[in-house]
Amino acid sequence: MKPFTYARPNSAAEAVKAFAAAGRDARYIAGGTTLYDLMKLGIERPEHLIDVTAIRGLDRIETGGDRLRFEALAPMSAVAADPVVGRDYPVLAEALAKAASQQLRNMATVGGNLLQRTRCLYFRNGAGNPSSVGVYPCNKREPGAGCAAIGGLDRGQAVLGQSEACTAVSPGDWPVALTAMDAAVEVLGPSGARAIPIAELYRLPGATPHLEFMLAPGEMITAITVPKTPAGRRSTYHKIRDRESYAFALASAAVALEMEGERVTRAHIALGGVATRPWRATEAEQMLAGQPLTAAVSLAAGRAAFAGARPGRHNGFKIELGARTVADALMIAARRSA
Amino acid sequence: MPAAPFPERERIDARDKVLGATAYAADIPLPGLLYAMMVPATTPKGRVETVAVEGAMQVRGVVRVLTAFDFPALPGPPPTPATEIAYRGQPVALVVAETLEAAIEGAEAVRATYAGQAFVPLIDSPGAARELVQPKKAGNAQAAMAGAATTIEASYVSPAQHHNPMEMLSTTAVWRDGKLTIYEGTQSASLVRANVAIALHLDPAVVEVKSAQVGGAFGQKIPLQRQTPIVALAAILIGRPVKLVLPRAQIFHNAVFRPKSRHQVALGADAGGKLTAIRYDADHQQSRKGTLEPGYHESPPRMYGVADYDGTAAHVRIDTQDPGAMRAPYPHPAQFAFESAVDELAHKLGRDPVAFRLAHQATTDPISGNPLSSCFLNDCLTEGARRFGWERRPIAQGAMVEPDGTLVGWGVAAGGYPANVSPTIATLRVSADGRTRFAVAGHEMGQGIRTVIAQLLQRELDVDPARLEIAIGDTAAAPQHTTASSRGTVSVGAAVTAAAAKMRAAMAELIGQRSIAGNIHRQLATVRRPFLQVEVSTLGPGQDAGALDRLRAGARAAAGPEYPQFTSFSYIAHFVEVRVEPSTRRVRVPRVVSIADCGRVVSPRTAASQVRGGVVWAIGAALREETEVDPRFGGWLNADLADYVVPVNADIGDIDVGFVDRPDPLFNAVGSKGLGEVAMVGAAAAIANAVFHATGTRVRKMPLRIEDLL
Ligand SMILES: Cc1cc2nc3c(=O)[nH]c(=O)nc-3n(C[C@H](O)[C@H](O)[C@H](O)COP(=O)(O)OP(=O)(O)OC[C@H]3O[C@@H](n4cnc5c(N)ncnc54)[C@H](O)[C@@H]3O)c2cc1C
Repeated sequence: MKPFTYARPNSAAEAVKAFAAAGRDARYIAGGTTLYDLMKLGIERPEHLIDVTAIRGLDRIETGGDRLRFEALAPMSAVAADPVVGRDYPVLAEALAKAASQQLRNMATVGGNLLQRTRCLYFRNGAGNPSSVGVYPCNKREPGAGCAAIGGLDRGQAVLGQSEACTAVSPGDWPVALTAMDAAVEVLGPSGARAIPIAELYRLPGATPHLEFMLAPGEMITAITVPKTPAGRRSTYHKIRDRESYAFALASAAVALEMEGERVTRAHIALGGVATRPWRATEAEQMLAGQPLTAAVSLAAGRAAFAGARPGRHNGFKIELGARTVADALMIAARRSA
Repeated sequence: MPAAPFPERERIDARDKVLGATAYAADIPLPGLLYAMMVPATTPKGRVETVAVEGAMQVRGVVRVLTAFDFPALPGPPPTPATEIAYRGQPVALVVAETLEAAIEGAEAVRATYAGQAFVPLIDSPGAARELVQPKKAGNAQAAMAGAATTIEASYVSPAQHHNPMEMLSTTAVWRDGKLTIYEGTQSASLVRANVAIALHLDPAVVEVKSAQVGGAFGQKIPLQRQTPIVALAAILIGRPVKLVLPRAQIFHNAVFRPKSRHQVALGADAGGKLTAIRYDADHQQSRKGTLEPGYHESPPRMYGVADYDGTAAHVRIDTQDPGAMRAPYPHPAQFAFESAVDELAHKLGRDPVAFRLAHQATTDPISGNPLSSCFLNDCLTEGARRFGWERRPIAQGAMVEPDGTLVGWGVAAGGYPANVSPTIATLRVSADGRTRFAVAGHEMGQGIRTVIAQLLQRELDVDPARLEIAIGDTAAAPQHTTASSRGTVSVGAAVTAAAAKMRAAMAELIGQRSIAGNIHRQLATVRRPFLQVEVSTLGPGQDAGALDRLRAGARAAAGPEYPQFTSFSYIAHFVEVRVEPSTRRVRVPRVVSIADCGRVVSPRTAASQVRGGVVWAIGAALREETEVDPRFGGWLNADLADYVVPVNADIGDIDVGFVDRPDPLFNAVGSKGLGEVAMVGAAAAIANAVFHATGTRVRKMPLRIEDLL
């Protein structure tokens, strides 16, 4: 922990201005459920915090019209409990409800959630400060330092999208559901407002795992939009973890289906817990199109989703677990009525 | 003749706890308090070459930084900052500041350099040093094994684990008028006093330790905690009270932990299917100088009356902090192995695992040759089987399948735990104004020792419960035993009974032939006696007054489970249903039935809650908890509660708890034996046995995870 300044602007425009004035070592802070942790662990060391929670009217949940719109400051718990979201887009509600704990979801915002950082043990517990004790090299924390997770205790690490520099899993559940549902993120920055398809928000680690998001400095997330689709009702977020609740995914699948009779006309599938970014399972989606959804077909789709997976030392099981998770998710979604 | 059961009474501290009103050590408000943060070593082994504190001293609010050079040089490893680093996370410095934030910032600014040394991180790493201890033998197991008609042999692994009570390790020290007062959560206030006095060259008489409420301990708070003398010295040198609360990751690295252990078990049965031979070799992870014995042969020989037993045990010394006792330190891992093996043998014999166990009623202890004071394990098994509906269990594996493909399995296993006892010195004062004060040894760690004392006292004497003060966990109140090894209730129970008897005698003498109305307080008021006070001391079976001297000195004074005339154990049987998901193989535990034999149940409510808690612990141990070391770096990798996976509410199903509630005739006057640890013993094996019954897959290690069943 080191001293920082603290500002509490009243509008998004003011927040962006305050950020630009503060310069590089500024951070927005919303619920603070993960940023404060990272500060205590010596990973984030901001000089300036710009608290966006005093901004009024940036927490609306809009379900009319041809898209869903969730403003950035809406608490996870509020979106999870929204009756329309729950009925028409269970994949979204479940992804939120199965994350963290009720207390955290009451504090955490749907905007802040998108920018949470990996739970890789070596990343979080390795800065060697009094709160984390461990000292582990990490390219994400310290570019060029090396990666301790590679060749280490990598049970939790990614099997998809990893690089020579980093195998850290993208941890969030909500971004996985949003990826399956083709969401977009509205941002406001020093050079104005724009919308980013969620698929373009997240980077692969490549040689620069410390760069995680395609946001320009000072860009603030203001809202998330999801185009409406009839697939929403036949959807689910299926999450497998080491305990029944209050844990990140070992493997998860966000699935939504458009069907005609027994036949899938269009499938949305994204994977969590197994990849270095929210992972769209395009091959599996393509494979399902036009197929009758049987147990065998869904397992084949699950396998297709992991066709390109590469195991580490202790996480090979995630490939089979992930395939079965996708298969189960497909069957759960298919049983729901459109 | 079974005596009437003790009444169900609520916990006397429940309301305060629910309201958050209970004050733990770190909650005590003190004027002028300073805050401290410890600086952990960032090397797994080596020597501190320099410690630069200038950066820390420049942080606004930092008052002082203590390093190894501030401490008196002592022979042997002092529990203070040292220049020899034996494990990652060892204290290198203590930063003391006006605020917690400044202390943390200062601690981050301390820079130490080290001369690193090669280290041995794991028990299977090259350089791990095996050190055999005295074997435990009875009869001739070799011959019995050679003559066995059926044998099985397998090895089992129990991982390193950390206790993780909710209450963080903390110490608050006050130095005033030549007296040192320490507030901290401990199970051993007198031991802390004795050891702080040694570490700081103080007369123990000027040290008091207060631990009125402990937020969970489970063995973590038995030994002197690493930070205690460091914080005490800081308070002495600075002349202001100092408080340190260790961050969770530092607790993982400095507290004692359950060492990893390996268990090779061979069992032999004769042609009639009777268990006749046990060979059991155990070893465990140990630090270079640690003393926790590999005492895994406590329970297995005392379960089934097998005369021929051959046990070896060893330390495997590596570079780590000292391991220590964690709830059921030996019987939990040992019974996981042993009861899994018994299940394997019963399976090989084609026998029902309950019927197989019932055929082996133990009456004597083969190790000492003495009788067991009581063993109602068969009652536990019979009652548990009845409540669980065991007779409906198909003997084949994989035979119970739900329509959705979920595999259901039922498993059983038993546990035993030594019945221990500590000598006790207690003072009881009953006043005419309605107050009662009972001062005795004991630490309230949430297990309910105050409730037990109140329960027993009210049975013996007509005192006003609303004005009852129970002074425990305080070296100023009475010499404090180490509240561990499930000896708390038994030890204070003896003291309450003795004190009440002495009080009744004193009252009788005071009142003579008169008949005076009202409770004891009214009677005292009537005879114009402000108060009556009695002091008693009690001893365990076979103990002499030397035990009381050791108790006063904060040294080891307890006895058990082998007493001169008999051996005493508590027992339990667990019945578990597991459900294994067909595809992703998550294991759920929807119901458990646990029936315990702990002699008389003196406080039904807290007793049942001990068993429920023990079963929850076993569910954690069997399916989730392991502290992991990356051998390239040393230290603990998953040193936080997000990644050290304990069960949450949603993981826990129905736990039906029952008691035999028959008095032990020999062990003590109340007829009770310990409960807090036997509660979890065997339950992890019952889970693994149930998983075998569901899936046909035998997993011989904890934790059993999804990937073991995929
Ligand atoms: C114990 C625990 C368990 C958890 N389990 C799960 C889980 O199972 N699944 C899961 O998905 N998540 C889990 N989480 C993570 C949780 O969902 C996130 O912490 C939370 O969503 C972050 O939201 P916040 O508003 O608190 O963000 P903050 O902590 O305030 O901020 C997070 C990041 O986002 C940035 N930020 C915040 N708001 C904005 C904005 N409007 N524009 C631009 N940048 C912004 C901040 O600068 C910071 O970098 C868990 C967290 C904890 C502590």
